[in-house]
Amino acid sequence: MRLGRDSFAGLIFLSVSLALLVQSFGLPQLPLVPVGPGFYPRIVLIFMAVMSVALVVQDLLARRAGVAGVGAPAQPQRAYGLVALSFAIIALYIVLLPLLGYRIATVVFVAAMQATLERPTTWRQWAVLAAIAIGTSALTYLIFERYLAVLLPRGSWTNW
Amino acid sequence: MFELLGHGLLTVLEWKYLLPLFAGTLVGVIGGALPGVTITMTIIVVLPFTYGLDPLQGLATMTGVYVGGSAGGLVTACLLGIPGTPSAIATTFDGFPMARGGAPGRALWLGIWSSFFGGLLGGLFLILVTGPLAAIALEFGPWEYFSLFVLAMAMVAGLAGSSFVKGLLSTAIGLLITVIGTDPIGSVPRFTFGSEFISGGFPFLPVLIGIFAFAQIMSDIEKVGVPKTPGAVLGAQPSLAVSHLKVIGEILGRPFLLLWSTIIGILIGALPAIGGSAANMLAYDQAKKFSRHPERFGTGVPEGIIASESSNNANVGGSLVTIMAFGIPGDAVTAVMLGAMTIHGIQSGPLFVSQQPGLAYGIYAAYILAHALMVLILAAGTLFVLQITRVRLAVLAPVVLVLCVIGAYALNNTMQSVYVLLIFGVFGYALVKAGFPLAPLILGLILGDQIEINLIRAIMTDDSLLLFFTRPISGGLLFCAALSVGLAVWQHVRHQRRTPREEAHDF
Repeated sequence: MRLGRDSFAGLIFLSVSLALLVQSFGLPQLPLVPVGPGFYPRIVLIFMAVMSVALVVQDLLARRAGVAGVGAPAQPQRAYGLVALSFAIIALYIVLLPLLGYRIATVVFVAAMQATLERPTTWRQWAVLAAIAIGTSALTYLIFERYLAVLLPRGSWTNW
Repeated sequence: MFELLGHGLLTVLEWKYLLPLFAGTLVGVIGGALPGVTITMTIIVVLPFTYGLDPLQGLATMTGVYVGGSAGGLVTACLLGIPGTPSAIATTFDGFPMARGGAPGRALWLGIWSSFFGGLLGGLFLILVTGPLAAIALEFGPWEYFSLFVLAMAMVAGLAGSSFVKGLLSTAIGLLITVIGTDPIGSVPRFTFGSEFISGGFPFLPVLIGIFAFAQIMSDIEKVGVPKTPGAVLGAQPSLAVSHLKVIGEILGRPFLLLWSTIIGILIGALPAIGGSAANMLAYDQAKKFSRHPERFGTGVPEGIIASESSNNANVGGSLVTIMAFGIPGDAVTAVMLGAMTIHGIQSGPLFVSQQPGLAYGIYAAYILAHALMVLILAAGTLFVLQITRVRLAVLAPVVLVLCVIGAYALNNTMQSVYVLLIFGVFGYALVKAGFPLAPLILGLILGDQIEINLIRAIMTDDSLLLFFTRPISGGLLFCAALSVGLAVWQHVRHQRRTPREEAHDF
């Protein structure tokens, strides 16, 4: 029998909980406290392990009964590539923040995300995109740094 | 009490507080009206703006968002047939048919005035009950607190739509995240693997923002290119003219319905972890059951709108009671509010009202005034709000993400919180795709530290675990928790027998 998505998730969480459970027994005991620092995590981890097993069993039973295959509605088309690309752009933004500084990195990020989600086709759309990117960066910078006294990252490369 | 409230009202009426309250309510109404943007998301976006404000300004802003957001969902629910937030789902059932039937103004204003009256009744409850409840909470020992948290988690896991087991597992994941880092009693590092990065544990707000905001934005992004459900069949500029006296008369002419829906909203709000999304559905269901003509529900009857909208705004009052009397955030919105209070060095809990009366009554005043502002904002600019809801995801998503990054970074001016944001953003999205509900995880995350501290305190006071069951309040709460789990399992089994498995994304 092939394992389903829930079984995989259950097995991953079971492995994590068992690995950490083993580690929790290595935590030191404290002299004045009747229960050590591993006491509560062990309760959580045992609970997690039991629920993970329950999820696997539930999934296997459902698959045996053929429920998943029969009743599963057709999933609508999803743009997972776009999600992956968006995560990559966000990760790049976070990497660039301390290097380029908030103002420049934010202009680049907002422009890149807009272009990714809805590619402009005319020069006018590109101009709107650039205006939104620069406007977001400038306005948030002014509000946070100047008005609310919230410091934003400075760039180690640009010192800006 | 009323003298303090009067003083609070006068304080909040100062420009210094009125302006942030107005801005919060406006943003709340817009966020609530935007389909796909929840109140939690709106408050996350507003959070960094409150860092530079004084505590009452910050909390007034957030109260405005909460009140405005709870009402804002009705705009798109009535006029487009798309609920702006989950707490306005039941409003679409009758609001949209009424609007489509030629009375969009009546549908909209029945919703707005119901929100207003429901919210004010919720406010009355908030003001009258918070003090006495805080006095009761002062009598709570660690056993009672522990059992209360267990009850909250049992309830939220039971309500997780897709799978009860996944709901409980999600709770466990939330609890596990809080365990990582140093232990609260002896500061022993746990599961840090020698890493400096996680030696202090994961900061709460970046984790919450990452899990919640990213999961939601990415779920919206994955639908780019998918044809949307048609809305706006009313035309771009529907006439919203209506006789307000007549509409108010329609609402107040059904006092039992208004009161019962409000009570449902308040109670659901006061129970930790259950939010407006449950309140409006339950109130609608109750209104239908008590109605002499239940068959007409869904065709555009005023009772459906009144029940849904009065309950979801009363729910805000109930949630604020829990956070102000017990120091326990009832949902993700109040969790963010609690986080903001912590940033300002304010200790929430049973002593909050007595030790910080200026702030507490300021929040009450902000709550009451936010309802009036909400009515004014919607009176002046419903069509403007409707226009804003058409803002494209390509613009909305990057701006929201930038504000999430600022919210995480500005907590302690380090990039570490931003890295945590990204890590949990990816994790939260993966969980949603695997069909895990996020609400139980967030509750586990919110309550995890408190559960551990109270459990250890109880054991340090008396090592008999039987006390959790033999102390009357603690035992009663644990009994309710067991009952809640039993009921959820029974419902789940019954549901499984009747229908095939379904996938639901529950934020």
